[in-house]
Amino acid sequence: MLLHLVVARTLYNGDTIFYALSFILLMWIVKIFAWKPVTKMMQDRSNKISNDIDNAEKSRKDAAAMAEERQAALAGSRVEAQTIVKDAKENGQQQREQIVTQAQTDAQSLKDKAQKDIAQEREDALASARNDVADLSVEIASKLLQRELKADDQKALIDSYIEGLGEQHES
Amino acid sequence: MGNGTVASFQLFGLTFSVANLVSGAIVFLLAIIFVIATTRHITMRPSKGQNVIEWLIDFTNGVLKGNLPANEVRGYGLWGFTLFIFIFLSNQLGLFFNLMINGKAIVRSPTSDPVVTLTMSLMTVVFANYSSIRRWGTKGYLTSFVKPFWFFFPINIFEELSSFLTLGLRIFGIIYSGEVLLEMIWQLAESHGILTMALSLPIEMIWQGFSAFLGAIQAYVFIMLSSVYIGRKLQEED
Repeated sequence: MLLHLVVARTLYNGDTIFYALSFILLMWIVKIFAWKPVTKMMQDRSNKISNDIDNAEKSRKDAAAMAEERQAALAGSRVEAQTIVKDAKENGQQQREQIVTQAQTDAQSLKDKAQKDIAQEREDALASARNDVADLSVEIASKLLQRELKADDQKALIDSYIEGLGEQHES
Repeated sequence: MGNGTVASFQLFGLTFSVANLVSGAIVFLLAIIFVIATTRHITMRPSKGQNVIEWLIDFTNGVLKGNLPANEVRGYGLWGFTLFIFIFLSNQLGLFFNLMINGKAIVRSPTSDPVVTLTMSLMTVVFANYSSIRRWGTKGYLTSFVKPFWFFFPINIFEELSSFLTLGLRIFGIIYSGEVLLEMIWQLAESHGILTMALSLPIEMIWQGFSAFLGAIQAYVFIMLSSVYIGRKLQEED
């Protein structure tokens, strides 16, 4: 069949070998100079791109997480500030109430003490008055007893007594 | 070229054609220059030359990927790439660079000679059968010829032969006819002096451009069909 095709020419069977060998040699040279380095570089590049995509994804996630964290921290500090203010207010309130109560108690105790002192004083005064009355009674009684021995004297005694009373009233 | 004869010589009992040897050597050198020039500085961020070769590698890998089983593509990438640049350069060589000395062609498209194209297709067939042996083992390879049953044996053998012939002769026909027509346009150009020269210049340019396009298409078709052929060998129904 081959012979029929190239019937007008010579059959260059040597060319077949030449081309086959040169093609195989070319394949070998291409492999060493181009194929290996280029495909390696293409592989490296595709790896790098895929890594870069992964890294970008990761850093995006990190950034999102950090923003969320910061947001949470901000909200937390706001709550904390509110708590502090509230606590301070409560403390102030409590302290005020305490002071007022203290003052009221103090005033009450002072008042009680004063009242007690007054009562004591009155008691003392009454006691001394009572003593005086007793003494006076005893004195009167002794004077009366002295005068009873004589009727005349009794009359004089009463008079003097009345006189004495009158003097007492006048004085 | 078409009408020109070719000088030949004998060596070790084999016949060599001068035109094929010289043209083949030129294609060989051009291919080496191309791959070395484009891969001198390989960087992560590709420059001009690297872009070209990476695009080509992606292109040939894409062709293989469409026809071979996915896990086999890696092993055939180098073969597809080399085949493509070799055939592409072979197709284009004669369009831009034609040399005749004493009516004997020295430089022309190697693929305008059926011996060369049939060599390439023979290599594909041998490579495909070798791949089949490597994939299925010798026994599996041999039994693949009597599938679905023994009656298909001659049909399968004939299929191998027809693949070999159609693959080689398709590209030969197109490149050869392209060069013959270029030759005819040239003869027209020099037939009646300056007038026909001016007339045939645009025709020549148009046909040259079309042939360049066809040469690229045929290089693509060649690796496409080769990979289809190998893919069929690898995906033999069990």
